[in-house]
Amino acid sequence: MVARVKSVSVTEHGSYGNRRVPKQSVLAGQSLFWLRPVFVDIFSSNTSLATTCALLLQQPQFAQALVLSLCSGAAATLLALAASACILSTGLGLRAQREHAAFLPAMLALPHVAFALGCVLLLAPSGWLVRFMFALLRPWADTAPWPLDAPPPWQSTQDPYALGLLLVLVCKEIPFLLWGALAHMQRPDVALAWQAQLRVAATLGHSAPSAWWRVVWPQLLPRMAGPLLAVWAYSLSVVDVAWIIGPTAPPTLAVLAWQWLQDADPSTRALGLAAVFCLLLCTVLVAGLAVMGYRLDRRWLAPARWTRGPQRLTDTFHSRSGKSKPYQSRGQAASECLARSGACGAAIGRGWMRALPAVYLLVGAVLLWSSVAGVWVFPALWPQSWTLQAWQQVLGSVGVLGTTLWLGLASAGMALVLALLCLECLPVRWHSALFGVSYLPLAVPTLLWALGLQRVCIALGWDASAWGLWLAHSASVWPYVLLSLQGPYAALDRRGAHLAASLGRSHWAYLWQVQWPLLRAALAAAFAVGFAVSVAQFLVTLFVGGGRFATVTTEALALSSGGQRPLLAAFALLQWLLPAGLFGLALWLGRKRRFAPPLTARSLA
Amino acid sequence: MQRFMSSCTDTPLALHLQVQSLRSPAAVLVQDLAIALPAGAVHTIMGASGSGKSSLLAAICGTLAPAMQFQGMLHVMGRRVDSLPTRARRIALLYQDDLLFAHMTVRENLLFAVAAGPQAAREAQVAQALEEVELQGFAHADPATLSGGQRARAALARALLSQAQALMLDEPFAKLDVALRQRMRALVFGAVARRGMAAIVVTHDPADIADAQRVTYLLAP
Repeated sequence: MVARVKSVSVTEHGSYGNRRVPKQSVLAGQSLFWLRPVFVDIFSSNTSLATTCALLLQQPQFAQALVLSLCSGAAATLLALAASACILSTGLGLRAQREHAAFLPAMLALPHVAFALGCVLLLAPSGWLVRFMFALLRPWADTAPWPLDAPPPWQSTQDPYALGLLLVLVCKEIPFLLWGALAHMQRPDVALAWQAQLRVAATLGHSAPSAWWRVVWPQLLPRMAGPLLAVWAYSLSVVDVAWIIGPTAPPTLAVLAWQWLQDADPSTRALGLAAVFCLLLCTVLVAGLAVMGYRLDRRWLAPARWTRGPQRLTDTFHSRSGKSKPYQSRGQAASECLARSGACGAAIGRGWMRALPAVYLLVGAVLLWSSVAGVWVFPALWPQSWTLQAWQQVLGSVGVLGTTLWLGLASAGMALVLALLCLECLPVRWHSALFGVSYLPLAVPTLLWALGLQRVCIALGWDASAWGLWLAHSASVWPYVLLSLQGPYAALDRRGAHLAASLGRSHWAYLWQVQWPLLRAALAAAFAVGFAVSVAQFLVTLFVGGGRFATVTTEALALSSGGQRPLLAAFALLQWLLPAGLFGLALWLGRKRRFAPPLTARSLA
Repeated sequence: MQRFMSSCTDTPLALHLQVQSLRSPAAVLVQDLAIALPAGAVHTIMGASGSGKSSLLAAICGTLAPAMQFQGMLHVMGRRVDSLPTRARRIALLYQDDLLFAHMTVRENLLFAVAAGPQAAREAQVAQALEEVELQGFAHADPATLSGGQRARAALARALLSQAQALMLDEPFAKLDVALRQRMRALVFGAVARRGMAAIVVTHDPADIADAQRVTYLLAP
């Protein structure tokens, strides 16, 4: 008997749609929850917004500070994006270069403040790099344009053009963008599909870098919109790093707003709020313009750019033989230009891949020997005496260490539980929207976020309390933890849960015995990321804690304007060592299981 | 409890499926389909991509996506199971991919399917299952180190260990080479017959048809 079943198409009656919960409205509600603290502070000010904005525009430092913020923020975002793209074009994440990706956790673990302080110790006129340069120039001391026994008369940190700030932001944001990109690229389904597409492109005559730029990059760039927005918002509105290494006369708008907000005069504080609102407006406007530009580019320019033919080997042969190139068309010339640009980009990427870990190692090394330096007179390359006094002082401040540790561990734990609840309880089809929403706190200027959290804690009666600080840190850490779990969760084969159920096991049994052990490395890494983010919080700790809670970050910031270089370096290094230790622990916990070799006939005999 | 009898042999049906409709949000995929299987029988479902073969298996196993809708009845060994959760249906699943859990050894993968009880008895069941699929000596092996055929056999052993009363196979041999396919077919169909289970195979390959009298072709909507 052969049964034949004819299927009949019918129009949908809408019954399925009626049964669904409207996810847009739920997620919009969630977004409003995140944005609510942002707007509460702006609109609750006694001075009208229009008056304050008019006053803001009249401030002599405002225009220059805004231009500085916009230029340094945009340049940092674009340079970090370009460098990340070049690094990725070498095949990172897709081909066998995973050892380079292993540097990422160590680079991510280094907080911005610690990196900025390390850069100051390295680049300042009396910094180690200048001492090293002067030591090299010693044989030509007579011909040098300035005496080599005193610091040079230039402003290499806190320079008026924000070049030091730009350097710190670019070096710190590249690992973050790479992390965002690798979260997508290391998903098994995406990695397999893109590797296959690259192989196809190679068989069609494209070189590896050219194929990457034409095939992978156009698919990857839209998926990096979230991390890019976060980098742009952070670079525009960063306070702590700009305060340490940024320009001072005038400072960036975020630092100016922070200074105004700390004033006792309510009208000056209102100016600070207006400046913060201005930063939010700039973030949204420029991000909107960038999205529009990208869409226009995709609609009109990209098709011609990406679909031109490959650069054939015969053309290269003609070129090497010294003959003129037999170009058939302008398209062919452009194609070769693109192929060469791709190769050039990959070379730059390889350079960045070697330089970036070296810069981080150098910063770490400078922090280390600055923390144990005793007497260190310029231009000596190494300290004349060594002392552990700073470390004794650091380890003696049990309260600071304890606060940093409990806050980091409790916030990361809370954020991990919340992220797991979201991922397990929300339907899978909501996850992409959830990850979009989770970028909102990252896209809001940090000052505004900290102010909003402070207002929420005041409303709950938790301001300047440990509970409030824990809540605020957990809210700040949650997006990073969620985004850390995005790739691993997306890579999970959902059929595993069906299979476990078909074997008669409960969902909890599946979670405990299969899913979470499989995700052990990702969960440990997400916890470490959360801890690192909590340790790095400055504004949130300051505003919500009401100055009553000191962490290694607040201590390092407080010391940055003083002259206690060893103590400052020790606190900055500790800021790195604590998260790095947890990342190390996460790597150990997430290590691959070692299995016994299978028994063969020979071994059985 | 209503019991269904096979029209040919008057033996109780191991699996009786009556589909009024299986709908996706866009179309009715399957309508008015009945499959009655005595113990040890294998039914094959074939059809074009998108015709609802895998969705039908998902409906039988209780793993249908929320957007899909199944109307009908399913009895396994005389027990109505269509309203039960997947884990209570006692229907095992075998996919094209073996889906062995990567962090567990082969033995641990198999133990995952064995019901709670004395450890020695559970271990004995695992050892017997490994022997049945000729994987002795691989109990403590990393699944990643096994060949495609060995992995498929380990997945089959795991499915059989769950004491399921029916077995659903979603293109289970598609990734194996021709020689391995024949060996796996013999292994699967032999196990189904020995254990008196009912099995439904979804496939594109006519060579997977175990019984020419028990084939359903689904047409694309």
